[in-house]
Amino acid sequence: MNPLRWAPKQRLERCIALGALVLVAVWPALGLNAYWSHQIFLQTFLFGIAAASLIFLSAYGGMVSLAQTALFGIAGVIIGNLATKGGAGGTSKGLHLGWDPTVAVVVAVVMTTAIGLIFGLVAARSAGIYFLMITLTFSVIATYTLGQVTKISGFSGIGGISSYTPGWLGDVLAHPDRLYYLALGVAVAVYVLIRYIVRTPFGLSLQGVRDEPVRMSSLGYNVALHRTLAFGFAAFVASLGGILYVWWSGQIAPGNVDLPGTINLLVMAVIGGLVRIEGAWLGAFVFIVIQNYVRDFAVPGLSFGGTLFGGSFNTIVGIIFLVIVLASPAGLMGAWDRAVAELSRRRGPPRTADEPAPGPGS
Amino acid sequence: MLPGERRAILGPNGAGKTTLFNVIAGDLAPSAGRVELFGEDVTTLPSRARARLGLARTYQQSRLLLGLTVENSIYLSILGVRKGHLRPVVLPRRDEELRERARAAAGRVAISHKLDEVVGSLSHGEHRQVALAMALASEPKILMLDEPASGLSRGERTLLTDLLLALDREITLILIEHDMDVALRVAERVTMMHEGRVIVEGTPSEIRADKLVHELYLGTAFGDE
Repeated sequence: MNPLRWAPKQRLERCIALGALVLVAVWPALGLNAYWSHQIFLQTFLFGIAAASLIFLSAYGGMVSLAQTALFGIAGVIIGNLATKGGAGGTSKGLHLGWDPTVAVVVAVVMTTAIGLIFGLVAARSAGIYFLMITLTFSVIATYTLGQVTKISGFSGIGGISSYTPGWLGDVLAHPDRLYYLALGVAVAVYVLIRYIVRTPFGLSLQGVRDEPVRMSSLGYNVALHRTLAFGFAAFVASLGGILYVWWSGQIAPGNVDLPGTINLLVMAVIGGLVRIEGAWLGAFVFIVIQNYVRDFAVPGLSFGGTLFGGSFNTIVGIIFLVIVLASPAGLMGAWDRAVAELSRRRGPPRTADEPAPGPGS
Repeated sequence: MLPGERRAILGPNGAGKTTLFNVIAGDLAPSAGRVELFGEDVTTLPSRARARLGLARTYQQSRLLLGLTVENSIYLSILGVRKGHLRPVVLPRRDEELRERARAAAGRVAISHKLDEVVGSLSHGEHRQVALAMALASEPKILMLDEPASGLSRGERTLLTDLLLALDREITLILIEHDMDVALRVAERVTMMHEGRVIVEGTPSEIRADKLVHELYLGTAFGDE
């Protein structure tokens, strides 16, 4: 790639990204609106991590997975079981093993990645709608397993997890900014890691598998193994989001990983765009803002049940989703790419070498 | 086939030429018979294992890695028959060595000027060049080309013919090609197929003179030239 040709777009994107990063980094330090830092931005970071795992599989592996929310939740459930101690008279389900939270984190990440590898092993030989259905099955299995095996969760789930954070993190209830900065750091690390991985032999060959699995096989690659490992890596990423989530919300239950939860994560990824990893956080941000403000948006004299849209939140999200997808099938990042390409049309071709081609799910 | 042999597979559409390629490469399981490579029965081996034994092929429909650059596509072709598919780190010295080979392979098929272009943005003729570069880059022992001249201009076909004639004599070449100028110049032996069966085998001059071949495939005009 000729770096001179693409410098303006890359430079502009880096300026925007750096500006956004500086803004969210100084937000709590400047004492700006705490609701935004602890609700909007923090949820954007952690759901963005989960959405990044989905977009990684889609953009670079050509696999749209509906199991990412389940893996996200599984990591949270493991933390809940291992780290919490349970109190006298407590009603929270779970094993309450009372392990050191740092050890619990390591075990949760390893176990979730292993479960992801098993999921990947089963799904790797399928493609398209069949892959989608198999991963949806994983999601449903996870939801009902957590709900029906009451020893580890039950439908009421595990609560009070925020009180069992590692010593190096401290009390996130008394000092929520610590969790904020941790989530921000993990989100940046995940972004950098994925951008790095896709340039390695593993990442490049995964993109080859996305484009032409038959060809890759005839070149000497084990397509199923590549897909399985990609799924394992995506599970690893999702597990980080799940751990941050349970420290933030304090609880985890099958309701967090059921079908609506699965669809919400897919909606975030699609809004951001399934073709670029940056879309994960952009989509999560848009979704969380809509979720927080549309739900409570009220027009005096025109409200149902106290708010303008009453119980129709999902309808509104659906309409916004449809508008974005119809206007730009590649989501907001795709719209951005198209806009920049249009502006620079006379200077050169619109696609860069390091941006993945739209996968089958886009 | 003998090592280093140049063989053209001819026949009308539907004769089974590409199916034969798919069976040899491992993309399709044979309903009967077996496939041997270098004296080893590989009938049950997957295509990736056959590639690692030294078999490279191109496809009739190019089947290229449309979202990757030309350089990355050829790089993956070289990496495919080596260790390190799953390496999640960049090793600058090792990767640069492979990329240097990729650039050299691109140079052999005159596609160097497109190294940084995404394959999906190239023309049909350029796709053929990339496919050939990918096949050559893996340094195969057996090279199977499925209609490599299809869609190429006259000048590009001449370039392709010269390239195939200049191939290392140790490489065994099997060629499916409808362009008789290319096929009969490159091949030392020709196999004529019809409706899934071999009907004639011989040297290019024997094939040119064969009445059945004229009836089924070449037509009467070709022999008069």
